[in-house]
Amino acid sequence: MRTMEATAPALLRRLNLRETRSSRAAVSIVVASVLLLVIVWLGLEQALSLTGNDPLVLAPAELLEQAASLGTAILPWALIAAGVAVVLLGIALLAAAVLPGTKARHVLENSRSAVVVDSEVLAAAVSRTARTVARLAPEQVASRVGRTRIEVDIRPDAGRTVDTNAIREAVERDVKSYRLRRSPAIMLSTGLQGTRGAVGI
Amino acid sequence: MNGTHRGLNRTLLGLIGLVLIASGASSVLAGTSRGFAQRWTNGGTGLWAGIQERLDAARIPGTETSWWTLAALALLVIVAVLLVCWIASQGTGRSNHVARLEGNDGETVVDTAVAAQAIKAALSGNPQVLATSVQSWRTKGAGQGTGLKISVQTRKGASPAEVSDAVEHVVESLDHLLGVQLPVLVRIRAGARSKFARTQRVA
Repeated sequence: MRTMEATAPALLRRLNLRETRSSRAAVSIVVASVLLLVIVWLGLEQALSLTGNDPLVLAPAELLEQAASLGTAILPWALIAAGVAVVLLGIALLAAAVLPGTKARHVLENSRSAVVVDSEVLAAAVSRTARTVARLAPEQVASRVGRTRIEVDIRPDAGRTVDTNAIREAVERDVKSYRLRRSPAIMLSTGLQGTRGAVGI
Repeated sequence: MNGTHRGLNRTLLGLIGLVLIASGASSVLAGTSRGFAQRWTNGGTGLWAGIQERLDAARIPGTETSWWTLAALALLVIVAVLLVCWIASQGTGRSNHVARLEGNDGETVVDTAVAAQAIKAALSGNPQVLATSVQSWRTKGAGQGTGLKISVQTRKGASPAEVSDAVEHVVESLDHLLGVQLPVLVRIRAGARSKFARTQRVA
C-alpha cells in the first residue's frame, strides 16, 4: 500500500470505517476455537490408533465408515433436525461475513483526524439541549439516536405545555454544530402535552 | 484501528458458513428423500472401500500403518497451527512509539507515553472530559507507520462538538511538538463512569 499523508481523506475514511464497523474478531475466535477442539480430537484419535491404543470416543477408521453410511443409518427426523440446526449455524456465520456489522457510532466531519462518537454520547447531548430549552428535569427528556434519525421524547408535567418549535430549533442547531457526516432526521414527540390531572409514567 | 485482518475474518467465516450450509442441507435432503439417503450410503461406502485400497497400497514397510495415515495426521497438525495463528492475529498491531526520526548522529524514538501524557494533561482540565486514554497502533499506509488513538470518555450530556474541538486543539499542539503529523483517530465515548458522574451544571 502506498504511503499517505496523515490527514489524507482516504486514510481518515479507512480509520472511520474500521472504528464504526465490527471486526468480527469475537466470532472468529469462537469459531476457530471450536474447530481447533475438533481438529485436536481428530489428531489425538489418529495418534492413538497409530500407536495401537484404545480410542477416546471413536477410531478414525470407524468414524469414516459410519459417516459413509450416515444417510441410511440414522432416523430421518434426526437427520432433518441436525441438518436444520447446522444450516442455521451456517447462515449465521455467512451473515456475519456479509453484513456490515455497523456499530452504534457516528462519524464527525473533521479534516485533521478521524472522529467517531458513540450514539449514547449524542443522545445524552441532545437530551440535555432539549431539556435546557424546555426547562425540564433530566428524567423528563429521553433521546434515542439511530443511524438515520434522532428521536427526542419529551414528557412535560401534567398541565404544562412546552414550546416544541423552540426545542426543535435548538436541537437542530446543536446537531448541526456537531457536523455529523450523515446528518440524521430529528423526530420530536411530546407524549401527553397539556393533559390535566395525574398521569402515571 | 488495530491490525486485525478483517477481510480474512470475514472470508474464513463465510467459507465455513457455506460448508455448514451445504452439509446441513444434504443432511436434511437425506432425511426427506429415501433415494438421496441410499445414494449417500452407496457412494460413501464405495469411497471408503477405495480409500482402504489406497491405504493398503502405500503401507510403510514392516508396519500395519499407511503413509496416508501419517499424511492425514500431518495435515491435522498444520490446520491446527493455522487455526492458532488465526486466533492470535486478532487485535494485534499495538506499538509503543509514535515517531522515529533518523538524523546524522543517530535515531530519535518518541515513546507513546510522551504523547499520551501530553494529551492527558491537556484534557484533564476540561470539565466535560472524565477520562482519556491514548494508544498507538501500526497503521497501514501512513507515512510514519504508526497512528494515535485518543479515546475520550465524556461526562453525560457533554457536547460532542465541544469535546471534539478541544481534542483537535490538543492534536494541533502535538503536531507542533513532534514536528510530524500522525494519523489520529478520536473516539468520544460514554461508559460506566458517564452514567454515574453528575452532569456538568451550566453556570
